[in-house]
Amino acid sequence: MIRLRNLTKTYDGRRILRGIDLQVEAGEFLFLTGASGAGKSTLLKLLYAAERPTAGGVWVAGQRVDQLSRHKLALLRRKVGVVFQDFKLLRHKTVLENVTFVLRFQGLGARDAHRRAYQVLKRLGLHHRQSALPEVLSGGEQQRVAIARALAYQPRLILADEPTGNLDADLAGELLSLLCDINYQGATIMVATHDHSLLEAMPARTLILNQGLIEYDGSWPP
Amino acid sequence: MRHIFEEGLALLRRRGVVSVILAMSLTVPMALAGFTTSMGLWSRPLVALESHATVVRVLLHPRMDVSQRQAWIAEQARTHQDWRLSEIDRETLEERLQVWFPYLEDLLEGEHAIELPTLVEVEAEDPEEVTALAEGPTVIAVGPTSSIDRVLGLMARTMTWLLGGISVILLVSAFLLAATWIHLEVYRNADEITIMRLVGATESAIRGPFVVAALIPGIFAGVAASVGAWYLVRMVAVAVEAVGLSPPVFPLWLVAAEIGVGVILPIVAALVTMGRHARAGETD
Repeated sequence: MIRLRNLTKTYDGRRILRGIDLQVEAGEFLFLTGASGAGKSTLLKLLYAAERPTAGGVWVAGQRVDQLSRHKLALLRRKVGVVFQDFKLLRHKTVLENVTFVLRFQGLGARDAHRRAYQVLKRLGLHHRQSALPEVLSGGEQQRVAIARALAYQPRLILADEPTGNLDADLAGELLSLLCDINYQGATIMVATHDHSLLEAMPARTLILNQGLIEYDGSWPP
Repeated sequence: MRHIFEEGLALLRRRGVVSVILAMSLTVPMALAGFTTSMGLWSRPLVALESHATVVRVLLHPRMDVSQRQAWIAEQARTHQDWRLSEIDRETLEERLQVWFPYLEDLLEGEHAIELPTLVEVEAEDPEEVTALAEGPTVIAVGPTSSIDRVLGLMARTMTWLLGGISVILLVSAFLLAATWIHLEVYRNADEITIMRLVGATESAIRGPFVVAALIPGIFAGVAASVGAWYLVRMVAVAVEAVGLSPPVFPLWLVAAEIGVGVILPIVAALVTMGRHARAGETD
């Protein structure tokens, strides 16, 4: 599902990622951890092509994402659900609309899109807030809307950047359980986190990034 | 497609007042462009006057006898095949002159009667060519080469070009206005556009709502501009009719043209602006 070859990313002469090689098979659950500034978010951004690599290549679902045309990249991104660290919700849209609009431009009719969005929101305990605008939601609620949006179109790959950062322990546990269910249904999941309680709660392949290099690749604890 | 239309309407609702201002701002230059086009069309028949042949009068030396005059006329007709030359007979010339100079009758009769020169009328497309005849020894004088028709035609042609130029400038300003509005809207919504790209929206899904949001004020502007231009033309028509001239009209096809421009201008402006924005946000 994911292949990285000699992946290097430099910002203003500072090397964030230093020639990373990685292979993630379809259906895997993977944690990406490391100290702040280790390159976790940058690695995820390179996977959904919000950034371009300085050197090396990124393959997702068999396609080299850093060389795709804009249209093909849009189509690939529809197979990838991303939970952004800063949520990236549309501020003019309600909770329901934020989840619905990604389904609409994927071709779902208004009624089907609303039904599916409502189901996902209900699963995340947000259905009672469906008409609220993001600005009136708490950080945790906004994070769950972002998660709902990423899950709504049942992507083959889910990339989550600190998805439990604003959630309490109970909600974080529920989210992890939800991600496990989705993974069980065949989706590949990559979660960037520095929350070690998550790693302990879920036995999965874990990558530890340190100064732009993969320091450890195996089960938790190292 | 329906989704894009709904998103466009949502964008319009969100920016209702600004959209109304855009429609009104487009209406003014488009109405003026429609007005200037109508006036240009109205003045077009006058332009044709400029190319009408002008009659230039040439006086030949009185000492020339009939055969010399005929030889001269034949020579000119051969040299300038587009000219039409006709000699005015003495009686006609006398009649014409006596209208202006009644005392001429006495001068033309009696023992010391003056000898009138021969008048030849030359009808030419380019009257300036006729003036060259004055250099010959047989020609006493060549009459004025300008005519009111030519002056009117020249004025009308100048006016047509001027009004056409103003129309183009007004339409370009309308285009720039729409492009600037869309540019501001795109940058106002830059974060949302970035998010849409990140979650897999294609360029058409992103651009579509902006095109719709610009198109609807454009259509309203087209209709309003047609009404405005018609009213301005009507006002001129009333004034022109009062002095007994044929009034200008606002042709029906110009209504379609105004609405067409109202549709095309914002679409082109939206596509150009969004294209620039898409290139700028390459990695988003």
